[in-house]
Amino acid sequence: MTTFRRDTPAEAEFRMDVRTWLEANLPVALRGRTARPPPAKLMPWYQALSRKGWIAPHWPKAYGGMGATLNEQIIMTEELARVGAPQMPAQGLNHIGPILIEFGSDAQKARHLPPIIAGTVIWAQGYSEPGAGSDLASLATRATPEGDHFVVQGQKIWTTWGHHSDWMFALVRTDPQAQPRHAGISFLLIDLHSPGITIRPIKTIAGDDEFSEVFFDNVIVPAENLVGKLNDGWRIANALLGYERIGTSNPQYALMALDRIKTIARATGILADPAFQDRLAAAGINVTALSALFSHAVELANQKQSPGPESSIIKIFGSELLQSLNDLLIEAAGSHAPAEKPITTECGTVDVSTSFLQVRRATIYGGSSEIQRNIVARRVLNLPN
Amino acid sequence: MDLHLTSEQMLLRDSAAKFIAAAGPKVARGFRERDPSFAPERLRQAGELGWLGILVPGSADGLALGLTELALVLEQAGRGLVCEPIGLAAISAAALAQGHTPHPMLKRAMTGAALVVPALQESAHGDDLFEPRTQAAEAHGSLRLTGTKTFVCADGADGFLVSAGGRDGLALYYVARDTPGSSLSATQTVDGRKLSTLSLKDAPADLVPSRQSSRSAVEAVTDLALIALSAELLGVMEKAQEITFDYLRVRKQFGKPIGSFQALQHQAVNIYIRTETTRSLLYQVAANNDPYRIDPALAVSVKAKASEDAMFVIQSCIQLHGAIGFTDEHDIGLYLKRALLLSSLFGNAAAQRRRYVKIAGLTV
Repeated sequence: MTTFRRDTPAEAEFRMDVRTWLEANLPVALRGRTARPPPAKLMPWYQALSRKGWIAPHWPKAYGGMGATLNEQIIMTEELARVGAPQMPAQGLNHIGPILIEFGSDAQKARHLPPIIAGTVIWAQGYSEPGAGSDLASLATRATPEGDHFVVQGQKIWTTWGHHSDWMFALVRTDPQAQPRHAGISFLLIDLHSPGITIRPIKTIAGDDEFSEVFFDNVIVPAENLVGKLNDGWRIANALLGYERIGTSNPQYALMALDRIKTIARATGILADPAFQDRLAAAGINVTALSALFSHAVELANQKQSPGPESSIIKIFGSELLQSLNDLLIEAAGSHAPAEKPITTECGTVDVSTSFLQVRRATIYGGSSEIQRNIVARRVLNLPN
Repeated sequence: MDLHLTSEQMLLRDSAAKFIAAAGPKVARGFRERDPSFAPERLRQAGELGWLGILVPGSADGLALGLTELALVLEQAGRGLVCEPIGLAAISAAALAQGHTPHPMLKRAMTGAALVVPALQESAHGDDLFEPRTQAAEAHGSLRLTGTKTFVCADGADGFLVSAGGRDGLALYYVARDTPGSSLSATQTVDGRKLSTLSLKDAPADLVPSRQSSRSAVEAVTDLALIALSAELLGVMEKAQEITFDYLRVRKQFGKPIGSFQALQHQAVNIYIRTETTRSLLYQVAANNDPYRIDPALAVSVKAKASEDAMFVIQSCIQLHGAIGFTDEHDIGLYLKRALLLSSLFGNAAAQRRRYVKIAGLTV
C-alpha cells in the first residue's frame, strides 16, 4: 500500500525495528482477524506491546507513552496493519487516558493511567442509554450526591466490551432540572466490580458479543471519582468524542480491508476484470485520502491539544469508506460471500461475511453519520437552525 | 480543516489572495473567446512575484520552493478563476531549469515575458502519456520531431514542452511556436479558453534537459502537472462551495433560510467532506514529496480525487442553488466549466484510476 509520505533515514530505521519486532512477536493466531479476539487471547499481546514500550505511541512519556512524533505514530499504524494485528481495546488508550491527562486530578492520573499502559485494567465507555441514543443529552442514569459518594441508578447500553471491563467512564445525570439538559450531566469513573451492577452481553448480527448492557442498582461511587466539576461532564465528553472520532477512523482498518479484497479478488479471478480494477483503484485512492485526512487531523489535534468539531468529517468519511470497502469485498467474493466461516483460498484465508456484517455498526456507534452531519452543518459550516 | 503552515507559507498564500482579488468571475467572463484568453501583463506580474519560478533552483534565480508553495498559489488561482496559466507556466519553468545548463528559454519563461506550456497528450484519455507516437530523429545535424499533440493549452504560448520517443527512448523536448514544420489548430472550450492540436513534421527541437535523453523528465513534468491541476481544482471547488453556503444562509423559502433544512444541510456536509478530503490529500502529498520526484501513485491519486470531487461538488452546488444555478447570469456555472476543463486535462479521474491500477499492481 502506498503511503503519501517518505520516511527520513531515522524513521525508516524505526519502521524496520517495528516491522521486525512485530513479525517476531505477534502470534500467528492473532493475525488478519476481523473480530476482536476475547481478552484472554488479546490482552497478553497488549501486555507484550506494553513491555516493549509501544502500547501508547500518542501518550506523553511522563505517563508511560512513547511521546512519538506524528510520523512515528503513523508508521506504527501502518506496520500494525501490515502484519494484520488485531484491534486493541481502545477505550483506555484512546479515550479515558487522553481525557484524564487533560482533565483528571493528579490522584486520578496516578491511579488510573499506569494500569491502562500495563494492560491490567480494561475500560468501558458508558454514554448511550435505551432512551438516549442520538439524543445523548436526554440520558437519565442518575448519580445522586450523598455525603462522600454518589448513588448511581439506571442503565447503559451498547457498551463496547462492557462484560470484559473493570472500569467504566460514564455520563450521569446529576441535575434533573437543568436547562439545557446537557448542563446537568457529570463525568464519573465507576468500578464495574461494585455491588449493584449487572452486565449482560448483546449478540450482534455478526455473531460477536462486542457490546453489552450495564444495569446500576443503587451503586455507591466515591466522590473522588468525579472527573472535572459537577455538571461539567458534557464538555469533557465532547473533548473525548473528538479523540474517539479520530481514533475509530484510524486507516489501519481500511488498509486491512483493502488487503482482504485483493486476496479474495485474486482467488476468485475477478481481479482480472477492468471494471472491478477501476472500483478497486477508487477504493485504494480513497484509503490514501483517509490516511492523509487522518494525519492532517492528528497534526491539528497535536497542535491544539484537542480535536475540534472538524473531527466529525473524518468519522463520517472513514466509516462510510469502510462500508464501501466491504461492499467491494462481497462483490469480489461472489457466491462465497454468504459463507459463515472464513474462506480459505490458495491466496490466504479471508473473513468475508463477518467483516461485512460487523461494519454495519461503523456508521452508527460513536454518533451516527446523520448526527455527525448535523454537528458539521451547525458547528463547522455555521448553517442556520 | 486548517493547514499547518509556516509564516512564510502564510505570507505567500496572502499575497496570492491579494493577486486574485483583481481577478474573479467578472474578469473571467471578459476573457471569453478573446485571443489570448488572458492578460499577458498579469502573467508578467505573476513572474515578478516569483511564482513562475517558484520551483526553479536558486542558482537559476528561482524561488526554490516546494510543492506546498506551488499548491498554495494555484489554489488561490483556482478560487479566483484566474485565466493566466500560472500553473502550466511554473511547471514548464521547473522542467526548463533541470540539468547542468538550464534551457535558454528559462529566463523569459520565469519572468512571464514568454509562455511555455507542456504538450504531452496524444489522446482524449492520456493513457499513452509515456508511449507517445511522436518521434524524435536527427536530421541535418539537429533534432527534429514528427507527430501530433492534442489538448494543448496553447493560448498565448511561445513554446511547448513536447514528449517524444526516439533512439534513446522517451524524452522531453522544447519546440518553439511557429517553428518551421509546426502548426496549431484551436478548439474553443465552454470555459472560454482554447485547447489546441499541435502538429509537428520534422520540426526543430531541443532536448530538455540538454544533452541527456531522460524518461524521468517526462514523468516528472506529468506528475507535476497532475498536482498543479489538482491544486487549481481545489480552489475552484472551494470557492463554489463558499458561494453556495452563503446562499444557503440567505435564501428563504417556507419562511426560513433554506440552509436550516436538514436535507440541504447534509448535502452541504457531503460537499464539505469532498473539498476537505481533497485538500488533506493534496497538501499531505505536497508536504512529503520533492517536486521533481513525486511518487506517481500519489500524483495520480490526487488528480483522480480532485477531478472527481470538483465535479461532484460543483454539480451539487448548482442543485443547491435551484433554478438560478443553471443560468449564464449566475457565476456558479463558471466554476463548473473551469472544473470541466481542468479535470479533463492529462487524464480525467477514470484515466488516473487506470494508471493507478498499473502502478499499484491491482491486476492478476
